[in-house]
Amino acid sequence: MSAAWAMVRHRFASFAGTFVAVALGVAVLAASATLQLSSKPQAPARYDAAPLLVLPPETGTNDYGEPERPNWTPSEATDLAGKLTSLPGVTAAVPDPSFYIQRLIDGKATGDPQASRINGHAWSSAALGGYQLAAGRPPTKAGEVAAAGTTPGERIEVLTARGPETWTVTGTVIDNGHHAGFFVADSVAFARASGVPLIGLTLTGDDGWVAAAARALIGPAGVVLAGADRDQLEPGSVSRIRWIGAQLLIVLVALGAFATVFVVSSTCALSAAQRRRELGLLRAVGATPGQVRRMMYAETTLIALFAGVIGAPIGALFAPLLADPMVETGLEPPGFAATWQPLALAGAVLVGLFAALAGVVVAARRASRISPLDALRESAADPRPMPPSRWVTGIASAAAGGALLAVMPSLSNASKTTAGLGAAMLLITAAALLSPVLIVPIVRLLAAPWRNSATGMLVREGTLTGVRRVASTAAPVLATVGLTVLLTGMIATIEVASGIDEAAEYPVANLLVPLNTPGLSEAAVATQSGTSRLPTRVQVTVPTTTRGYDGAGLTGPESSPVGPAGGVGERPGSEAGAGAVLHADTAGELGVAAGATIALRFADGTRAELPVLAVDPNAEAPIVLPRALVRAHDPDALTDMVVLNGPATEAAGAESLPVATYVQREVDDEGRLVDLFLWAMISLSAGYTGIAVGNTLLMAVAARRAELRVLRLAGATRRQILGVLAAESLLAVGVGAVLGAAVAAISLLGIRAAVESELGQAVTLVIPWTAAAAVTTGCALIALVAAAVPTLHRPTGP
Amino acid sequence: MTTKSTHAVELRAVTRRYGAGERAVTALDAIDATFAAGTFTAVMGPSGSGKSTLLHCAAGLDRVTAGDVLIDGTPVAGLGERALTRLRRDRVGFVFQAFNLVPALTAAQNVALPMRLAGRRPAAGEVTAALAEVGLSGRAGHRPAELSGGQQQRVAIARALVTRPAVLFADEPTGALDATSGAEVLRLLRDAVDRHGRTVVMVTHDPYAAAHADRVLFLADGRVVDALSGPADAEHIAVRTARLEAARATGAAGDATSSGGRATGDAGRSTSDNDSAVTR
Repeated sequence: MSAAWAMVRHRFASFAGTFVAVALGVAVLAASATLQLSSKPQAPARYDAAPLLVLPPETGTNDYGEPERPNWTPSEATDLAGKLTSLPGVTAAVPDPSFYIQRLIDGKATGDPQASRINGHAWSSAALGGYQLAAGRPPTKAGEVAAAGTTPGERIEVLTARGPETWTVTGTVIDNGHHAGFFVADSVAFARASGVPLIGLTLTGDDGWVAAAARALIGPAGVVLAGADRDQLEPGSVSRIRWIGAQLLIVLVALGAFATVFVVSSTCALSAAQRRRELGLLRAVGATPGQVRRMMYAETTLIALFAGVIGAPIGALFAPLLADPMVETGLEPPGFAATWQPLALAGAVLVGLFAALAGVVVAARRASRISPLDALRESAADPRPMPPSRWVTGIASAAAGGALLAVMPSLSNASKTTAGLGAAMLLITAAALLSPVLIVPIVRLLAAPWRNSATGMLVREGTLTGVRRVASTAAPVLATVGLTVLLTGMIATIEVASGIDEAAEYPVANLLVPLNTPGLSEAAVATQSGTSRLPTRVQVTVPTTTRGYDGAGLTGPESSPVGPAGGVGERPGSEAGAGAVLHADTAGELGVAAGATIALRFADGTRAELPVLAVDPNAEAPIVLPRALVRAHDPDALTDMVVLNGPATEAAGAESLPVATYVQREVDDEGRLVDLFLWAMISLSAGYTGIAVGNTLLMAVAARRAELRVLRLAGATRRQILGVLAAESLLAVGVGAVLGAAVAAISLLGIRAAVESELGQAVTLVIPWTAAAAVTTGCALIALVAAAVPTLHRPTGP
Repeated sequence: MTTKSTHAVELRAVTRRYGAGERAVTALDAIDATFAAGTFTAVMGPSGSGKSTLLHCAAGLDRVTAGDVLIDGTPVAGLGERALTRLRRDRVGFVFQAFNLVPALTAAQNVALPMRLAGRRPAAGEVTAALAEVGLSGRAGHRPAELSGGQQQRVAIARALVTRPAVLFADEPTGALDATSGAEVLRLLRDAVDRHGRTVVMVTHDPYAAAHADRVLFLADGRVVDALSGPADAEHIAVRTARLEAARATGAAGDATSSGGRATGDAGRSTSDNDSAVTR
């Protein structure tokens, strides 16, 4: 270790590449991990004054693995709340029904559409957040509302599941900036909400003690959450935002680690080759191969730890600066702030260390095989640029990358990007490993036009005899160009393909779709001429099991749509004539056939028994119900879209679009996030390329000082030497760009073939020439500077 | 059987060939040689005669194609890379023409390196004494870049001797030095033999350097073609060398017209045999 320390201290310049790569990698890891750990689920602020929250019991999990908790009916919730209120230490037990509401300003829906789905509340639930009125009185009947930012007596336009309404403000709520939403009379909230998902408890007694008493009291009728467990109540809209943010952070972490390994391995390989004589000397005076290997590991450990100690605080300092942009781009929920996460920093330093050690493995193994006689050799000629191990790993990486591409079509959309990134990394690694074989023909080809000039000859021969050196310079360029072209091309191709795919689903020319709303209100749907489905969630019980299914209320010839005036508290007394149509898959899972009876539990908690009218393999949803029935039991349900068969009628929170425009917009929305991801990935890898290319060239030029001196003595002007070096660097960049583009092109063809076989239709291959050209130009500029600086800095004259 | 105490290094019918088939080059051709403990031997010969290969094989830096090398009585053949490294570390010291020192380490650290690599801490004063022995007690903390070429060679000698090796191999140790520094290095090597009873094997092309040895071996085309025992003066050695070169040139000319490569070796041998007969 002491020898390693001396080496590091003495030859810091040759370790600089490793140092910078690890420091940058650790900074990226530390910032990402800090942001990720800071982003924790949090109970809505609306429950700040409720230490205990009671949820309906879990009946199973949905397709996403989330617990399925069918809501209580208002009467079930009220009964349970009554029991809980009687517990000693409980001030109040408040059922908390929520419903969709957005404020309309100039006829336009405002606020975050997803958050607005649970924006309407019963006035009594204001106590759960400790909210009080600054002025006015609580709402007591339909058409009255209390909210923050309003004044009593004011009349406001709102949009609910029923349609646009005009309400009178009775009170101004102090919500401490929580965006607590709109409070209405309890009876109004019960009628508008689809059941009750929660009862909140305000206490005077000890949390733990009351929680235990409440559990004992209600038994299996509910789940009592206390303390940190309350945080699982984070609204789905917030969870989704955090999930998207987490995806980006994961990509950054993966790419940061990969780039660190990549850059460290190429730097270490070059530095080991340059230190051949010194390592040979160590072997001659008695260092065993193991000692040489351990010394290289020790050197890298020192560098990586040092770099980590510098990089981690930089990452920690950057994390808070990134918090706001992440909120603005919709990657973290509003109010998100980066907090001090020592674990993230320690983890980043450790990952940086392991990435660096992984990068040095190959170089250390090679170095340990250096013969003592190398101490006597003047030049560090590299006799075997392609040892068998390099062939094996190269081909194995190529095969693994190819296999990943091959299985990609069968993966879910969410895993496709990850798989694509994984495949890209594997293929790039393969190309980098196998590059020494490919460099010779590519150099001959690229340098052919200049073979008759002195510079051309020097460049060509210098490059062909230093294949390893060229490979080191070309590798990072290869990685960046390959990653850029492959990722942008892959995503563009898939976008084009999914455009084709989705457009195929809608045969009609125009759609009515939500405009800054989470869905269409009943009023918006009722005035249109067209077809739509009203989505809901139902629990189906057959004697053996209970399962949750997505249901759809359909407007069919047998049941006409219900008007907007589905009255408060109205419940269809009889379900006579109503029945369900099951999708064949649903029927199969439940083991029922047409004619059987199934027990349903609707979104509002009410139960009903329905006959199975038919089993249809082409059913539009797992369970198809009459629209009126769905509306009756899911008063807060919103329609996704209406497929119009006539001119659209204008409606609040809705707009009419041709199918193609709508599909394009959906694709673009997704594309915006994808572009953000791409931008982050490409700038990160381009940054690493800069370091790697610059560092490799600095090392190479410095090591060739003697050679350059000979050239000067042989009569070359400084200008000519600069020309040779610049040309060599550009040639190396060119080789990397050609290889990277080739890897990307091969992969893109594979992806297109996969997509085509899936769609059964030809797909245009999109190749991002602009991105490729931009990245290559950037690499070339860095290479020129890196090659010129040491030459200009130190005169190479005789 | 040679006993361990009489010979520091023994070569028995050592052959070293590079490459294979038609293009194979025989660098050492069944050489027998012994280097007695406490002696100073110079190995001379024209370039390409195999003198460096002889040194590398004798020191266990290079593997032999056929034959045996015994270092301090231990046969090198059959030793693994680790065992061979240990043998070198414990029984062999090296001084190369240049690049003897690890640039990152100070003079004292370089001297202590073999002991450090063997996993032991140098005894108090051991390194200082070794540096004082070569007249560099004031330079312990200097790095190689801060030392002159001659001083670097002296540090290398201190390092080679500090482990009290059975044999010290020197490959053109004065080749890169001016006359004064070279003389100093040669005096140190001579002292190592005379005062400390070490064994030194030195490859050189410089008759003046060879004159410091007890015995001079002349190599040509991978064979020992001549030997001079007892202190010989530089002029005498130079004459021998010149004759060897001349014979080699003649042989090479003959080689161009005759059929086989053996002719060169035979010509060299016959010439030198005659020569030694004349000298005796």
